[in-house]
Amino acid sequence: MTDQTPVVRGRDFTGYRIGGAIAALLLLVAMVWQVVALFDGETVTVPESHWRVSAAQGDYGAEVIAGEVLEARTRFMDERFRTGPSPGAEAPELARGDRYFLIEERMEAEGRDLTRAWLTADARALEMSRPSERVIGISSLPYPNAELFERPEGRDWRFGLADFITHLGAIAILGFSLLLALILALRGRVPIAKGRSGRTVKRFNFLERANHWMTASSFIMLALTGIVIAYGDTLIRIPFGEEAQGTLALWSSWTHALFFPPFTLGLFVMILLWTWRNLPSRLDLAWLARAGGFFSDDPDNPPARKFNAGQKLIFWSAVLGGVAMIATGVTLMFPYFWADLEVMGWVMLVHATLATLLIAIFIGHIYIGTVGMQGAIWAMWGGKVDRNWAEEHHVLWLKELETRGATARGG
Amino acid sequence: MTRLKFLCDAERCIECNACATVCKNEHEVPWGMVRRRVVTINDGEPGEKSIAVSCMHCTDAPCVAVCPTSTLYQTDLGVVLHDKDTCIGCGYCFYACPFGAPQYPQETLFGSRGKMDKCTYCAGGPEENGSEAEFRKYGRNRIAEGKLPICAEVCSTRALLAGDGETIGEIYRERVIHRGFGSGAWGWKTAYYPEQDT
Repeated sequence: MTDQTPVVRGRDFTGYRIGGAIAALLLLVAMVWQVVALFDGETVTVPESHWRVSAAQGDYGAEVIAGEVLEARTRFMDERFRTGPSPGAEAPELARGDRYFLIEERMEAEGRDLTRAWLTADARALEMSRPSERVIGISSLPYPNAELFERPEGRDWRFGLADFITHLGAIAILGFSLLLALILALRGRVPIAKGRSGRTVKRFNFLERANHWMTASSFIMLALTGIVIAYGDTLIRIPFGEEAQGTLALWSSWTHALFFPPFTLGLFVMILLWTWRNLPSRLDLAWLARAGGFFSDDPDNPPARKFNAGQKLIFWSAVLGGVAMIATGVTLMFPYFWADLEVMGWVMLVHATLATLLIAIFIGHIYIGTVGMQGAIWAMWGGKVDRNWAEEHHVLWLKELETRGATARGG
Repeated sequence: MTRLKFLCDAERCIECNACATVCKNEHEVPWGMVRRRVVTINDGEPGEKSIAVSCMHCTDAPCVAVCPTSTLYQTDLGVVLHDKDTCIGCGYCFYACPFGAPQYPQETLFGSRGKMDKCTYCAGGPEENGSEAEFRKYGRNRIAEGKLPICAEVCSTRALLAGDGETIGEIYRERVIHRGFGSGAWGWKTAYYPEQDT
């Protein structure tokens, strides 16, 4: 048996592979559902509430509909000589506001037809309507943004967020998870090909690990609370109802702000600790060209120092993505501080887009650090990794430690 | 079929701000927030116009579509209402609104915006009609009494029209024909006919 023959193979992890297959199946269903939702044409909002009339005395309000009362009242908007409240002019009985009371209640019927009917303009209404355009003037009222009359781009923003980013973001997250589940099912875990040596080397010290987990748990909480806000309408309202959704979203909005300081602190400590070893080098190209040896069980992976190209990409996603998320998030916390309404709208879209991408990327990071690779979790959990794991994935780093004599303490 | 709308006749609006003032007073709108404003365009130049603006109670309302907590909802007469109990102050409606209607108190710590406030078409909110709780959260409920928004009913030049869209449209058109000019219904296409090409 040569040195290069794997002792442990990825496909031997049967339990993990079955788990991966089950996860892949569930994710496939969710993914198909999202794709259907993305192309499901009709996305107009519909009325959910209905007004009916009750009379002040007796119960003869049922024969009058709410619209009639308000239509009668609208006649008062006409020239004074025609309708009240000028003396002598005729005041429609329904319009006096002392006899009928309007009660608002939840609508039973489907309101979609109403929206469709409202959207259809008759020629006269269309003729008198001014074209959609951005209109900003001045206002004597001392409020931020009081000078705004009209910004039709609000409707585009709605399509950007409600109909585009949320669906595409969900597809990115679900699609990447599906890919990973399929890899686990078909390929199995990345093994320590030579098996465990029983001897360990120190990989991360206490500060590095504590800081990693502080940042990681903050990121997970930020992601979960963000998901409640972005996808609560699907994930929480449909199974648990509006009240649960409202309460959970309120808690989430506060928790989201609460985990921003530890995330920021962790990210900056991370930059101080790891940037030097994550600068790109020539080795990274060779590593990326062979995908880090990911798809083969051979122990002969492309050589890497302490961090390989994949880990460097994760580091730079965390740093660049994290800094961008902090910058956009802080901007959104202070309306009008430096950004006006239009800029804030874009900042919000960037925040939402990056958030979904980062969640997808870090699902990949969590995967490869846990179920995806045998022995990887111990690097960040206990701080010591198996010698054979180090040799297979970070051979140059191991040699570096050996020349320094730093491995003597290990195992 | 009644569909409630707002229409501001820019040729009649004299920027007296009575609508903005009466609205703040009627609903006891807190400091820092305003449900109705008057915007003046081309100030000091020929063609200067003033237009009163608030929530237009849009058809296919973008704020309702983006709201993540089902806070915003529309009634069968077209009025867009909000439920302060479920609002989390995320600000999505504020980015989606074509008329700058949603307002935030900015009274809480840590940059949280507090609960959104906007024009209710004088129709209160989901609380019981005329209750103390409804008044505290949303202001007076005039629609429940069969009356129209106070901003329009108080307008001294009858520039600001509120009520059934077809009826106020008719009043406006007749006026334009009578006096021979009119700059049109401001904001109507964005608010009510977004799918129609100009």
